[in-house]
Amino acid sequence: MVDIELKRDRICIRYKNKKWDWMIEPRYWRNSILWTTALMLFPLFSYFFYPTLINTLITANIYTCIAIPLAVMTVGTGRINFGPNFYLGVGAYTAALLSIHLGMHPALTLPCALLMTAFAAIVFSPLVVMARGLYYVLLSLLLPLVLLELSMIYSNIFKGDVGLFGIEQLFRFESSSINFLAAAYFSSVIMLILLTIANKVLKSRYGLIMSTINDDEDVARSIGVNIDKVKIITFVGSATAIGVTGWFIAHYFGTFAGITYLPLTFMLKVLLVFLIGGRAQVFGCVAGGYFVSFLEMILIRTTGEISAVLFPVILLILLFTLPRGEGLFGLYRKRRYREYMAQVHVRR
Amino acid sequence: MSEIMIVKNLTKRFGGLVAVDNLSFSIYKGETLGFIGPNGAGKSTVVNLLSGYLMPDSGQIIFDGVDITKKKAHERARMGIARTYQIPRPFPELSALNSVMAAVVAGKDRKNQSFEDAGGEATHYLEFVGLFGKRNILAKDLTFYELRMLEMARALATTPKLLFLDEVMAGLNPGEATRAVDLVVRAKEQFNLTVFWIEHVMAVLIEAADRIIAIHYGQKLAEGTPEEVVNNDAVIEAYLGKGWKKYA
Repeated sequence: MVDIELKRDRICIRYKNKKWDWMIEPRYWRNSILWTTALMLFPLFSYFFYPTLINTLITANIYTCIAIPLAVMTVGTGRINFGPNFYLGVGAYTAALLSIHLGMHPALTLPCALLMTAFAAIVFSPLVVMARGLYYVLLSLLLPLVLLELSMIYSNIFKGDVGLFGIEQLFRFESSSINFLAAAYFSSVIMLILLTIANKVLKSRYGLIMSTINDDEDVARSIGVNIDKVKIITFVGSATAIGVTGWFIAHYFGTFAGITYLPLTFMLKVLLVFLIGGRAQVFGCVAGGYFVSFLEMILIRTTGEISAVLFPVILLILLFTLPRGEGLFGLYRKRRYREYMAQVHVRR
Repeated sequence: MSEIMIVKNLTKRFGGLVAVDNLSFSIYKGETLGFIGPNGAGKSTVVNLLSGYLMPDSGQIIFDGVDITKKKAHERARMGIARTYQIPRPFPELSALNSVMAAVVAGKDRKNQSFEDAGGEATHYLEFVGLFGKRNILAKDLTFYELRMLEMARALATTPKLLFLDEVMAGLNPGEATRAVDLVVRAKEQFNLTVFWIEHVMAVLIEAADRIIAIHYGQKLAEGTPEEVVNNDAVIEAYLGKGWKKYA
């Protein structure tokens, strides 16, 4: 039986021989509530004052939803995956095909997309155990490009360049601006759920074990960590979470073309979000996602065509000038660089 | 005394080089076994083989009555084998407390221990090695002596039965070395350990070890009490040299 005990600062949960403590002291969740409130008020503010910002907000959430699981994957496997958009593609194509051909509701395509992404991740999970360094980078980089090629070769199924269309949309309100607002809130909720899960995992005993793998695999083994098991679980879990974003993209736009999300250009933007926010920092991914999307939007509106050059130049300058390897999150860490909990980094 | 580990005909080759050649010995429960030999003799390779970091080409390793020859490093760690490294290998981006907590969490399934409780237990090991005041410092910012102590705490946190120490004294000044030896002796008593100690500082082993094994080119040269081994002609010839007592 599950035994729950309320203590002064925590809830103690016991089941069989296991025990979990859940901190309930206000100082542990005060900042989270403030930030969540701000994030939830932002779409409403945009709706009334700058409606065009809502689209940027959704784009930011999409980038963040890919970058957060990528950060967890990077910590738990000790390797940077250069092809997270492969799992996005698998999730999106699964949802799109099921919705178009079988007329399935988004609520039904979600579990199917998750299962398919998890299956694809399991198939490719031996890579994280066997491949290291440059080989892993090349192999992970190859996967989305192979999927893109497949979408072109089997264009009767995936509709090649044009993409799949006619996917059932998530929201069908009469006003399109209300649809946008609903999608903005929905994407924010997905992002917050992923952020909460990722943060909880990284600050748990499992997260600590993941960070030992990130630091030194051999030593992790010598203290009793089954690194192959941890790596595979982390890889499959994170890849499946990326599949959720694919499902959202397919049902939000009502269309999905691999040519938009599978090439290097999209993947580089996700990696920039990941690096600008701070490598393997889940909160940094949120900052990075919003920063990159809003910077892109501002540059397009203010500088026009030259923004295509300015955007990467500014990001490259930031990559070199922000605290080394820690991005925007590093600015915060400069003040509080001795955290109680694990601060994990990717091996160079 | 009963054997905690039996090593039979252990052999390891790296290409054409035979690093460990048909080596057999036993480690008895509760003893401190010194392991000596010249540089390149194969001492660290033996530790790597016994802790599961390397797999032997032939031979058998029995720990606590169980054949562990084919077992992986993490399985051996969970059975009660811990080790330290010749050159400290900390988790650089983790604080001292988190490094030891990871060992508490991963080293063994503890009944009714939450993650927060693991922090409490890790604190105990940090206090034991004298690093309580540095618990929130990142491992990469610790001094060499502190890194040695952190490795010791991390190894102890896995609740080992057999502890492999690989040149604990290397790089320490005389004061630190004395404290390190005291700590090993205290740990052995308090945690009921068996210690397998690779060391070049003979004075320490003569004082602390119950038995010493000397190896050369991966083969056993001599085995016995410290007095017997240091007076063995083959050991003096291959490793210690005739005037070794001046430098011990």
